[in-house]
Amino acid sequence: MKQLMLLAFAMPMLLTLLSCNEGGELTPEEVGTFQIYFDNKVGTSDITLEEAGSTSYDFETTGGEKFNISSLGYYVSKISLSGPNGEIYQDEVLVNASDAKGYYHVIEGTSVSQNILLENVPAGTYDQATFTIGVAEEGVQEGALGGVLDPANGGWFWNWNAGYIAMIIEGNALNSGQEYVDWGNGSETLAKTFSFHIGGWKNVPDNENFVNNVRTITVDFGTTVSVGEGLSPLAHVVVDILKMLEGASVDFSTTYSVHSPKGGKVFADQLDQVFSVHHVHQSTSGH
Amino acid sequence: MFIKARVGINKTKIFIICGAISLWSCQESVRPEDTSLVFERPPHFPEPTYTFDNNPITQDGFDLGKKLFFDPLLSRDNSVSCNSCHQQARAFADSPLHPTSIGIENKFGIRNAPALGNLAFMDEFFWDGGVTHLDFVPINAIESDVEMGETLENVVAKLNDHKEYPHLFKKAFGVDEITSPYMLHALSQFTVMMVSASSRYDKYVLREGTLNEEELKGLALFEVKCSGCHSGELFTDFSYRNNGLNTSFEDKGRALISESNADLGKFRVPTLRNVELTAPYMHNARFETLEEVLDHYGGGMVDSPTLDPLFKDGQQVVGIPLTQIEKQQIIAFIRTLTDEAFISDPKFMNQ
Repeated sequence: MKQLMLLAFAMPMLLTLLSCNEGGELTPEEVGTFQIYFDNKVGTSDITLEEAGSTSYDFETTGGEKFNISSLGYYVSKISLSGPNGEIYQDEVLVNASDAKGYYHVIEGTSVSQNILLENVPAGTYDQATFTIGVAEEGVQEGALGGVLDPANGGWFWNWNAGYIAMIIEGNALNSGQEYVDWGNGSETLAKTFSFHIGGWKNVPDNENFVNNVRTITVDFGTTVSVGEGLSPLAHVVVDILKMLEGASVDFSTTYSVHSPKGGKVFADQLDQVFSVHHVHQSTSGH
Repeated sequence: MFIKARVGINKTKIFIICGAISLWSCQESVRPEDTSLVFERPPHFPEPTYTFDNNPITQDGFDLGKKLFFDPLLSRDNSVSCNSCHQQARAFADSPLHPTSIGIENKFGIRNAPALGNLAFMDEFFWDGGVTHLDFVPINAIESDVEMGETLENVVAKLNDHKEYPHLFKKAFGVDEITSPYMLHALSQFTVMMVSASSRYDKYVLREGTLNEEELKGLALFEVKCSGCHSGELFTDFSYRNNGLNTSFEDKGRALISESNADLGKFRVPTLRNVELTAPYMHNARFETLEEVLDHYGGGMVDSPTLDPLFKDGQQVVGIPLTQIEKQQIIAFIRTLTDEAFISDPKFMNQ
């Protein structure tokens, strides 16, 4: 914050000096927007969220595990774009108690959260996007933050091993080993459900016990798109949950409740396979 | 931005900027900085770890944090406040009558409530170190089933509906709506100011006072026998160790966080500042007196695969053998770490 304050004070000073000397106009760099759409799927199928306890198993892994999904989402942060001619765009990260700019909470079923609009992208061509799934150490160690990271306002946070949950997949599975649990105070876990909370961010030198499940992923567009005045391209990113479950060889009879860094690692290790660019649009008129 | 606070330098910068602005632009009105409450690092202490840049201390923020600290509104049935288990006369540890904390509906916790103090200098919190930022500490007490039994979300709702709090948050942070980060920041402003560095030991170190012969002998012994773990001016190396209390571990301790059997039964090496006031001792409140603690180290330890190697000689558990006189001397020294000014500082009192 202090640096920003300095900047905020210094900028008008600089501008005043500049305008005094030159009297000419500063031409701002040409910029445009870029949109990333996160399309959650199971294989090629769209996801319809089912109620916890629903026995309508919409999907099946190649291993024969029948399941559905009742809740799905993840944090995306530190988005950058790059192009073949050296174009670089880095989404601004600015966090404080009122907001967490640059952190996005993508939640299936909330379409506005699935569209991320990047503004002030320098004009040029781009063929790659890089982003982080989860909230890395530098975010956690800022302390209490607002916006999508506010744990009292929809933020996904672990108290006991404090940090943000990178990704949540919950649902019902025919073979789930989960039995009914009454936690009291109206809180319960239904039978045959599964709950995978993938978190953990600590890098502890010389201690392999700690698992960091935050992953940075680069996706290729397979082509180039142009950003500029009046040009607002879109990358359609498919997030294939089947790849995660099959990559982790999930067996719901034994793996149904994952709530710790070590348990989440096998899922986090699949993330670079889970996210891919399906196609890009030069204009944002459609997905 | 992961910047360690260097309060002095930042203040200087601000003054320079303010000066520059007032010279530069006559119409700009700059709010004078609130200097009534300043965090000061004791000269013999390490740099603070707290993120002051994100949460600068102000009198209004501190006062709000204090009000929250003493307010049972934070608990589900309005029966438990932070102060219930962290009392100033006990250096913000719990009463000896509550060896493990008592929460809502008289539920018992499993661990002894630690003293608060010098939190600005710590990297990790709780006996297992599961929390790495002071701001996140209160969430654990609020949402624990056996402590406050409330949800953070509901606390925020209660605060927004309250007749006083919305105004106080507006005054402290300029916000129209109370959200959890502001509440946590207010609490941190109060607790981060709890600096305990005015004990007789501190005065000795800073050449402002003396210790008597027995205490000095105790200090010399302490440096040989105890400072392997209770090191530095905070009297802890912030490590996690098994000090031979048990052979089986219902409370896994550090292993809850690391998920490794190598950490079973290991707990944070606690600070020894004000320890005279914070009985009972150990995470499970096993010992009632400092004499019992030293007797444990002298010959009461039990072996287990994770027992700290410092206490062993080969396969044999040797602990820390001490004569009766040595024990008395060490305890005499440890009592010089009691900070009377801290426990009677009106700044932290509910008034």
